[in-house]
Order: sequence, then C-alpha cells, then structure tokens
Amino acid sequence: MLFAVLVPLLFLAVFLIAAARRVKVYDRFAAGVAEVPSLLRSLLPYIAAVLILAELFEASGLSALLAEALSPAFRFFGIPPEIARLVLVKPFSGSGALSVVSEIFSAYGADSYIGRCAGAVYASGETVFYLAALYFAGAAEKKPVLPVLIALLSNLCAVGLACLFCRIL
Amino acid sequence: MNVLFLAVFVSSAAVLLVKDAAAFLPALLAGAGKAVSLGLQLAAVWAVWLGFLRVAEDAGILRAFSCAARPLAGKLLRTRSAAVLGSASVHLAANFLGMGGAATPAGMRAIRSLREERNGFGQTMLFVVGCAGVQLFPSSAVALAASAGARDPYALYLPALLASICALVVGVGLVLLCYGAGRRRSAFSRFEVRRKKKRGALR
Repeated sequence: MLFAVLVPLLFLAVFLIAAARRVKVYDRFAAGVAEVPSLLRSLLPYIAAVLILAELFEASGLSALLAEALSPAFRFFGIPPEIARLVLVKPFSGSGALSVVSEIFSAYGADSYIGRCAGAVYASGETVFYLAALYFAGAAEKKPVLPVLIALLSNLCAVGLACLFCRIL
Repeated sequence: MNVLFLAVFVSSAAVLLVKDAAAFLPALLAGAGKAVSLGLQLAAVWAVWLGFLRVAEDAGILRAFSCAARPLAGKLLRTRSAAVLGSASVHLAANFLGMGGAATPAGMRAIRSLREERNGFGQTMLFVVGCAGVQLFPSSAVALAASAGARDPYALYLPALLASICALVVGVGLVLLCYGAGRRRSAFSRFEVRRKKKRGALR
C-alpha cells in the first residue's frame, strides 16, 4: 500500500532534514503539540452543540422523514433515493457517512448500482459543515455563509455526477 | 447557524415529546458523549501533525514548499504571505494524498492567517477547494468496499475522481463569480464592503 509507506517516509525525511539543519526536534515538536489545548478549547463547544443536535434530530425520526420527503428531488437529479440518507449525513459527519455506507453495502451489496453509487459518493466531496465549524470557529463577527453555500452546491454536483458516472462507466 | 440550530432543536424536541419523551435526555447525552470522544480523537491527531508541522516549519521545509507552490497557490488565494502559502500548500497536498489528519490542522492554520490579513477571497477559495475532496486514492472507501465483498472495489475510483474534479471546477468557478474574476471588484464584493462599513458605523 502506497499510503502506508508514505507517512513514515515523510516523518523520517522531515526529522532528518531538521536535525541536519540543527533544529532541536524534540523541543520544537513539543512546541507544536502545545497548540493543541487552545485549539481544542475553541472548537469543542461547537462540536458538542452540533453533535447533540444531530443525535436529537436522528432520535426524533425527523431525519428519516426528511430523507423521504426529499426523495423526489433526489430522483430528479438522478440520485437513487436509497442513498438519500448518505447524502444528508455526509456534510455533517465523516464517521456517520461511513456507517451509512456500510449499512447500504450490507443491504444492497457492494457490487450493485446503489452500492457503487454509495461508495463513489462517499469517496467524493467532503464534510462541509464539519469543516466549516473547524475552520471558521474563531471568526466571531463574520459568518461563513458564502463559502458553505458554494461548497455545498459543488458537492451536490459531485453527488449527481458520481451517480451518473457509475451508470455510464 | 443560530436560527438553524434553534429551529431543528425545537422541532426535534417537540416531536420527541409527543413520541417518546423518555428518549430526550439520553439522546442529548449520547451526542455530548460522541463530542467528547471525537474531541479526544482530534486532539490525538492534532498532537501528532501539529508537532510534525512545527518541526517542518523550523527546518525551513514549509518555506521551501511554499516557494515551489507560490506561483499557483498565490494566484489561487491572492496572497503573498509565506505563512499562508506554506500551510495552504501543505493542506492542499495532504488533501490530495488523502491524509485527512495532516490536512485539517494545516488548513486551520492557513485560514487563521488568511483571516488575520482580512483576505475573504482566499478563505473562501481555500475552503471550497478543500471541500471538493479531490483525492488521488480514496483508500477508506476502497477498503470498505473490499471488506463488504465487492468483486471490484476499485470500480468506484474513476466515478469518484471525475465527480470530485467536476465539483472542484464548479466550486472555483462560483467563487470567482461571487468575488469577481481578476482584480476588479464585482457588484457583490462592493455590496459586502458597504455592508461592513454600515456595521462599523452602527457600532
């Protein structure tokens, strides 16, 4: 696996170059880690609020209702309604999307059209709301409405196109 | 976000009140518990990659990297600052290689520096490009398909890659459209400036 070899090579190369340039690797590594608590303190409140809301939304059954209500719209864009839940969860949580994909795989099979669509949708695009919460958490006055809207729209294009490419390729 | 939070919370709570009131508090606590464990996971990932990034920065590797990426990334984000270009190019490269753990901290650093120099265009562009999720190799999706017993787990590779590239093109196009291509200011950014001025005057 390419990835498995890449990461250790990267660490080795960077640490050896740093040592050759007389950087105190241990001290500077610790200085980098020192940024973690302040980062966590600024982000955890938002992560907690969003995840509590998501859990409540799921428990109330409204998320299943929403997926059903939106299925005609999904069909219009050529997205099979079976993966509607995946499309709705994906912007919020990567691990949530992962669990939905594995549910779809076991229900329809990984080789079926729906299974392939789910895999391709999971592999393309990103968790837009989650990343927006991370990246723009410190910005108190300015709301990242425009970046989030553009990213959502382009990810929706990716979902429709991924299903289209699964059908024709 | 405040309006959305309140609306979703109130409607979900109302439905749950009628359907199964006893499930309300456990749901909240389960969400909070997930947040705590996610926070711990993130802290562990950040500890590794932020330490790594600091060593790379002090060794001058980030600077060399940003010099190499300057022509492209500088034009993309409309900035000259070496701090931004270093973290931004690490963010984009790690994203492309599918190393989400390294990409997120570098992206947060880049966005923070862009915010300090009040570069709204750069923040939006970096966010949208990152969110297109163009990946050289979608390892987790392929691994999941393989473990579910797919005959050809790589079947999803090409559709996903093409769809992400299309999303990237659409996203970059929309950002340019909203902020105005080139140097001249679009109607939208003029509106933004006016709105900011008005807000400042009110305060």
